Parts: sequence; C-alpha cells; structure tokens
Amino acid sequence: MSDPPKGPRVILEDDQPQIAPRLDFGWDQAVVPVVPPNPPSRWSGFGRAAAGVVVLGLGLGALEAANFTAAQFTRGAVQGWLTLGVVVAGFGLIASAGWAELRGLLSIRAVDRARAAFARGDLEAARSEALRWAGGMAEAAPLQPALRQVGSIAELRALLEAGPLAGLETQANALGRAAAVQAFAVTAISPSPGLDALVFAWRGVRLVRQVAALHGLRPGLAGTVALLRRTVFDAAAVAATDIAVDAAARALLSNKLLEQFAGEAAAGALAARRMLRLARVAAEACRITPPR
Amino acid sequence: MASLTDPLGLLRDAAMGAEQLGRGLLGQERIRLAVTGLTRAGKTVFLTSLLANLLAAGQGRRTLPALEAAAGGRLRGVRLVPAGIESLPRFDVAAHLAALAADPPAWPGRTEDLSTLELTLEVERRSWLGGLLGSRSITLELLDYPGEWLLDLPMLSQDFAEWSAATLQRLRRGPRAEAARDFLAFVDALPAGTPDDEALARRGFILYRDALRHCRDRLGLRFLQPGRVLNPGPRGEAPILWFFPLPHPEGSGLAMLLARRHAAYVADQRDNFFEPYFRRFQRQAVLVDVLGALHAGQEAFEDTAEALAAIAAALRYGGSWLDRLTGAGVDRAAFVATKADHVPGRQRDALAALLGALVAAPQNRAEGAGAATAVHAIAAIRCTEDDVVTLEGRPVAAVRGVLLRDGRSARIYPGEVPLRPPEPGFWDHGFFEMPEFQPPRLDAQGVSGVPHLGLDSLLAWLIGDLL
Ligand SMILES: Nc1nc2c(ncn2[C@@H]2O[C@H](COP(=O)(O)OP(=O)(O)O)[C@@H](O)[C@H]2O)c(=O)[nH]1
Ligand SMILES: [Mg+2]
Repeated sequence: MSDPPKGPRVILEDDQPQIAPRLDFGWDQAVVPVVPPNPPSRWSGFGRAAAGVVVLGLGLGALEAANFTAAQFTRGAVQGWLTLGVVVAGFGLIASAGWAELRGLLSIRAVDRARAAFARGDLEAARSEALRWAGGMAEAAPLQPALRQVGSIAELRALLEAGPLAGLETQANALGRAAAVQAFAVTAISPSPGLDALVFAWRGVRLVRQVAALHGLRPGLAGTVALLRRTVFDAAAVAATDIAVDAAARALLSNKLLEQFAGEAAAGALAARRMLRLARVAAEACRITPPR
Repeated sequence: MASLTDPLGLLRDAAMGAEQLGRGLLGQERIRLAVTGLTRAGKTVFLTSLLANLLAAGQGRRTLPALEAAAGGRLRGVRLVPAGIESLPRFDVAAHLAALAADPPAWPGRTEDLSTLELTLEVERRSWLGGLLGSRSITLELLDYPGEWLLDLPMLSQDFAEWSAATLQRLRRGPRAEAARDFLAFVDALPAGTPDDEALARRGFILYRDALRHCRDRLGLRFLQPGRVLNPGPRGEAPILWFFPLPHPEGSGLAMLLARRHAAYVADQRDNFFEPYFRRFQRQAVLVDVLGALHAGQEAFEDTAEALAAIAAALRYGGSWLDRLTGAGVDRAAFVATKADHVPGRQRDALAALLGALVAAPQNRAEGAGAATAVHAIAAIRCTEDDVVTLEGRPVAAVRGVLLRDGRSARIYPGEVPLRPPEPGFWDHGFFEMPEFQPPRLDAQGVSGVPHLGLDSLLAWLIGDLL
C-alpha cells in the first residue's frame, strides 16, 4: 500500500452549476419529537403497600358481602333483597367517592397538560386545552371564538392572562384576604399556639379548595393533597410571590384597629401573611399557563 | 490567584461557595460554564449552537439525544433568563441564527466585546419523593468575548520587565522575527534610559501592533500580547494600550512610561475581565481549532499549544485546601476540537487524539487540581457531508460542502490527520487554509436548533451529572 497523498487540497466540482444549493440534512424532520415526553413514574414501596391494603380491604370486603348476601337469600327473599340493597348502596357510595376523587385528580392533570403544552410551545395542544378549560368556566366561555383564531403561543397566553386569568387572580386574592383576616383574628384571640396551628391548617386547606374551585377544578381529597403539595413546596413560586404578599399584608394590616394588637399579634400578622401567600401560590398552581 | 494575601477575594469566594450550597439545597443551582478558546476557535458559533439546540430541546425537539439520555428524559423546559439590569450586552443568539440562515448566509463577525446570557434548564426530580419538592432549575451562565483577550491572562503575574523579556524572546524566534523585523530594529536601537518621548512611544506601538497583526493574520499565530492591541474592544484604542516590550525595561524615561501603561493595562484587564468572569467557574470547555493550527504549519501548531498551556497555567482550577474550604474549583474541563466537520467521519477520532497531544499540558494542570477531563471532537454547526475523491489514482475520504465565498460546491481532502504532533517532514507541503463553508439550510426562527456533530455528547459529559 502506498502512502496517502500528502497535504490537503480543494477540488472544485466543475460539472456542477456555478451556484450550488445549500446542504440540507433534513434536520427539521430528524428532530421532530416522536412520542410526547412522558416520564416513567415509579411506584414507591409505600405506594404499592397502600394500594395493596386498599385492594385487600375492598376486595375481601366485597367477597364477604357477596357471601353474606347469598347466605341471606337462603334465609328468605326479603332478607336477601334488603341485604343486597344495603351492600349496593354502601359500595355505590364508596365507588362514587372514588370517582369524584379521580375526576378531581384528572382535572388537575389537565392543568399540567395545558402547562406542558405552553412550555413546549405546542400551539395546537395548548389551544385545545385552553378551549376545553374555557368551556367549563363562565368567565372564560365568551373568549372561545378568539381562542380559536390565535396564531401563536404568546398570543394565546396573552389573551388568557389579560382576560379571565387576571380576573381569577383578583378573586383568589380576595379569598386570600378574607382567610387572612380570619386567621389573624383567630390567632389574636386564641389561647394556645396549638389551636392556632390547627385553625390555620384547616383554614388553609379550605382556602386552597376555594381557589381551586374558582379555577374550575374539583379537587377531592387526593386532589387537595396534590395541590397543597405544590402550593407548599414550590419554592420558586413562593419566592416570586413574597414581594407581592409583602405589599398586600402591609395594606391589610395597616389598620388603626389592628395596629392596637401589634405587640402580641405578631403571630397573627404572620398567619395572615401566610394565608395571603397561600392564596397566591394556590392560584399559581391552578392556572393553565405556566409561571413566567 | 487565590491566596492568603488576597483576603477580599477569599471572602468573596467563601460567600459564593455558601450561596452555591444554599442554591443546591433549594434545587436552584447556578453553574458558570467558561468557554475558553483562542481567536477563531469557534467560541461564538459554539455558544450560538449550544443555545439554539438547548432551547429547541426544551421545546421537545430531539436535537441533543445524548444529553436527553443523560437527563433520563426529565428535561422539562429550557428558558432564557429575562434581561435584568446587567451592564453588559446580551449575547444575541437570534441575530446570529438569522444571519446564518439568511441568503446569502453570514457567520458571526469578529467578537469585539463581552456579552453574556443565562439559560435555565427545568428538570424534574429523580424520585417520586423528590417530586414533592417540585422541579429543579439549573441556571447556566455563558460568556462570549474576544479570544485575543484571553492571552492577557498570563500577563497578570508578570511585571513589565519580565513581560518584556519573555515577549522579546518569543518575538525573535522563527518566522515571527521576520514579521517583526521593523519593530525589533526599532527597539534594539533604543538605548537604556531613552527619554519618554511621545512620538517614540507612538512609533514603537504602531510597529509593534503591525507586527502582531501580521503574526495573527498571516502566520496564524495566537500567543500575542497584549490582546487588546489586536482587538481593542468597543471603546477603541486608548493610551493605556500604547506600550510594547523593551530590551532595557528598567530605569526612567520611556521605560517608566511604558511600565506604567503596562501596569494600568494589566490592572484594567484583571478588574474588568478576569476577576468578574474567570475567577470562579465550575465547568470549562476549551475550544481548539486543531485542524487550523495543523494546517498553519509547525510554528503555529506549537504556538497554539504554548498559548493554551500559558492560559491554563494562569487560570484558577482550585484544588488547594483553601479552594476546597471556600468551595471554589473546576469540576470538569472538556477539551474540544471544533469544526470536526472539516474532516470525514473516519478521521474524527484522530482529530480528538491529536488534540489530546496538543493540550497535554493544560489537561495535566486541570487534572492535577482534581478536575475531571475529557477530549471531544465536535462541529457546532455541521456544514459538510462525507464524500470520496480520487487523488493520485487512489480513492481517499473527503468532505463536500458549499464554499462561502462563491457558493460553489467543493470537495476537500483535509490530508491525513496524524494521531500525534507530527514529525517536521509533515509540514513540507506548506501553509493551507481551510476555506469557509456555507452553513446548511437552517430555519431562521431556530425552532429545530441547528445540525451539529457530537455537541450532545459533549454537553452530556459537561453538565449531564447536574441534571
Ligand atoms: N465548518 C464549520 N466551521 C465553523 C464551525 N464553527 C466555527 N466555524 C468557522 O470558524 C469561524 C470562526 O468562528 P467564531 O465562532 O467566530 O470564532 P471565535 O473567534 O472563537 O468566536 C466561523 O466564521 C466559521 O467559519 C463549525 O462547527 N463548522
Ligand atoms: Mg467570537
């Protein structure tokens, strides 16, 4: 084998037209997402154990009930039918509660889907989520024709944020203020810090549910937990809202009457601030557009 | 640069270390990625491609599969951090992309000023339990700057006399002596104790500047100081630059004047460039145009190696007990051969191997300080496809691309890329300059990123562990 030719060189292609088209690697097509990114969500050991307990409880309960109903029928038709009625009513209630829970969770998932679509810049998905959302909201329903016509994600987002979302935010803040005043009052007069905490927790949960309902969500128990989780742990959102909350708290508490309490009511002021913040962060968590 | 004699710097380090720890706990890390490279190494193009492809990946495009894999598919979004109150210009990705996509296309012009941009990667947490805490965000800080300025880094530790001696010694070597003939004749004629005559100073400066320009533009040399003489930046030439090396650097008169300018220049570069941007960084990408250096001849090749070694010696990699205490130091440094699309696929490994030999000194330096290092060959924007040409009766692997200057298609045989710094005989064929190519067809909005080679593996190695 001989040595390869020494030295680099340029070989012009004379048979080619003078101006060659630019290279095209078909890159745009090559990078189109095939499946929407869907993270594998893992079941933790605890989750599996809990599911097992539920299956055992409900399953064995159902078998037991079936056996018992069959036995009652051997005793007599009346007892049989009565037992069946009781069993069906009982399990029906459980099932309907489960269904409500599921719907609550699904409605929160829908918020996630909408946000993901906005974050991805996927106009079509974001539009259809926005339309579905607007369909279920009295405030947003008139916006539907306009939503159908927008040409870009930014436009869609601006339309939602300027219209219904701004209104919702005001209402959520009003709910927050009401809860804040109550929390302040309760902590100011309550005899023990333990009771404060209890009242605060109860009022907080109610506030989050109120805000969710405002946004067209029907959070059940699981949904509320999911929302609370987001509300309490979304550090970034909390930091962003702190400034706004500061101003709101000052406006709310710079009241002659309340200032009388100032000394012993420091805890009350804190509780009020927390409520205001909770309302804002909960509203943030329920919005169908991602935080900026 | 960090030492017990610099208590303020130490304090700053400690404060930043603490801040970083706090941010890490909150899941809001900030990582500074220092992209270092000599002039024309491809820094601006690299940053443009990195930003375009990361932003596209944030929109779900599969532009960076290896990085996605390193992130376990948990990358949820990528955003540019909105402008705040920075006094530096923002790195204008959109404008660079538009120019590259335009017809006729244009590469970014010579970088004349600093510019920065920050990018936030939104990443889902690994476990279900971690999900309770919400997603994590990693902010990447990026900086673009004129490559010439990097060579001022080794000047920080020299006084005027030391710098003069080292610079003149280098200038009298090989082809530089020819390029700097007029300047050398001029300074050699200056006796010790020359009075500080403004006309003399100007004359010397102009001769020195012309010599440096000749070395950079026609000889492909890079170890040229001071950097701002070659690239004065947005404010243009100022008296602070009007100094040059003297054979008799001590004493009063002209030597004193030049020494004062030298000191002021070094202080200015330290305060406005190195201290704010290169004192602390966690990840580093050292970009090298290996093929360009190889084709520019033995002198340029060795000069590039020397320049990279001098820069690395002056950078702070951490590793001392003090750095550990304050949490300073570089975790990972990647050495990157850019423009890998200039060689056919089969030769890219050789390119990386040659780079490994070229950067042996900087690599040792980084590893000695405890940083992990790796060598990559990438093309930030892929402009060619592989092809075959017949030369001297035998087929050889080549690349085909469209030439920037006249829009004609050409096949280019880049020569055999040696695995090691080659023997002197290798350079017999003389100076060759790789023509510039047109970038491929791009979409101007940049929604799909830009075609690249190996950028994803590089990023996966550099920042994959953070995701
Ligand atoms: N073919 C090819 N050329 C490149 C690539 N990156 C840079 N270049 C060329 O190198 C030149 C200098 O790049 P630039 O980023 O401005 O270098 P800087 O001085 O380090 O900022 C560009 O004008 C391009 O012609 C690449 O990935 N592929
Ligand atoms: Mg540049």
